[in-house]
Amino acid sequence: MALVSHQRLWRPADLIGLLARLVLGVVLIWAGVGKVASPAVSARAVRAYQILPYDFAGYVGYALPVVEILIGLLVVAGLFTRVSALIGALLMLAFITGISWAWAHGYSIDCGCFGGGGTIAASQTQYPLEIARDVGIAACAAWLVIRPRTPYSLDHRFFG
Amino acid sequence: MRPDASKKIATVTPKGGPNVVVIGAVVATLVVVAVVVAIVIGNNSKPDSSTATAQTVPAGVVGGKGGGILVSGTTSTGTAPAKSNAPTLDLYEDFQCPSCSRLEKVMGPRVASLAKAGEVKLVVHTLSFLDDNLKNDSSKRSANAVACAADVGKFLEYHAAVFAIQPAKEGDGYTDAQLTEAATTAGIAGPALATWQKCVTSGQHAQYVTDVQTAAGKAGVNGTPTVKLNGKDITGTLTTADALTAQVRAAQK
Repeated sequence: MALVSHQRLWRPADLIGLLARLVLGVVLIWAGVGKVASPAVSARAVRAYQILPYDFAGYVGYALPVVEILIGLLVVAGLFTRVSALIGALLMLAFITGISWAWAHGYSIDCGCFGGGGTIAASQTQYPLEIARDVGIAACAAWLVIRPRTPYSLDHRFFG
Repeated sequence: MRPDASKKIATVTPKGGPNVVVIGAVVATLVVVAVVVAIVIGNNSKPDSSTATAQTVPAGVVGGKGGGILVSGTTSTGTAPAKSNAPTLDLYEDFQCPSCSRLEKVMGPRVASLAKAGEVKLVVHTLSFLDDNLKNDSSKRSANAVACAADVGKFLEYHAAVFAIQPAKEGDGYTDAQLTEAATTAGIAGPALATWQKCVTSGQHAQYVTDVQTAAGKAGVNGTPTVKLNGKDITGTLTTADALTAQVRAAQK
């Protein structure tokens, strides 16, 4: 491959960084796209956590899918990787906190992570799985915050 | 003396390339604009409250703005006045919700007989959030229709008739013809049918339906069915009709 022939070989850390970017970015975009067309549903999913006041939870529900898509695009493109990944990590921390809150309070809700949301039967809740997934994604984000230089990034192209 | 490196530095420094501040500002502006647009669109996607028709609140509404409909002699003809020790049974349902239909099959007749005998103060909150999930307006239309049925004293009957014809596939919704057919099944006839039809066609209680949904959301009811006895959520305990009766009896003491 051309890349190998005139550049240094990829180190494992480069590969991990690229994978972390793709996982974090694609999941964020996917989550945002699943919600952005149904703002009312998204707002209700946020309200179901019963953390934020009713109206404020609504605004969070409207804005969150857009933020997810934009941050996801930045991460996939590798533009402002460190700042974008930091925002991604903070989002994941917020989601983990929210899901833990709902679990601890005994609410039976769908996390609404990729659309949907709201109250479901207690037997259908998937809190451990949802938290484990978000921890994994947060780990990708943390990697990029610590080591934002990755192959095929706009950061590399624009800023050297 | 050290050699002057400024020439060398100039040759390796990118010239005229994008500037981190410029790109950052553009991205930040895009994010802010997109978020503002999302919030504005989200706010506007709330159900239109300024419909042309004069909006009224249906008969039997209790508990202030967006409260449920109390099943009484007014809203459901042939209902005895609630006994003084009767507990309040709040029912939150959406006519498009399959679990609500299943609950209605198991509990409906018992709930109706307890209410008609005055053993409970039955308050029904017809929610409409599934319209957003299912991308139709059947929950709002059917909720409006049952509110119109309360006006003509056939609330419980119409409530049962709509659940009886719930489409097998969630999301298929109700046609206007089906909602009218349910009125006939519920025994709405003659001048009452004309009153009901006018109320349905004009969406007379559309604002009320929206208010019920908002009030339920503010009260922390985020799913259907939700059943509360004297304010306590007992949804998970309702496996049989007898389980409900037992709890109602216990609450009467």
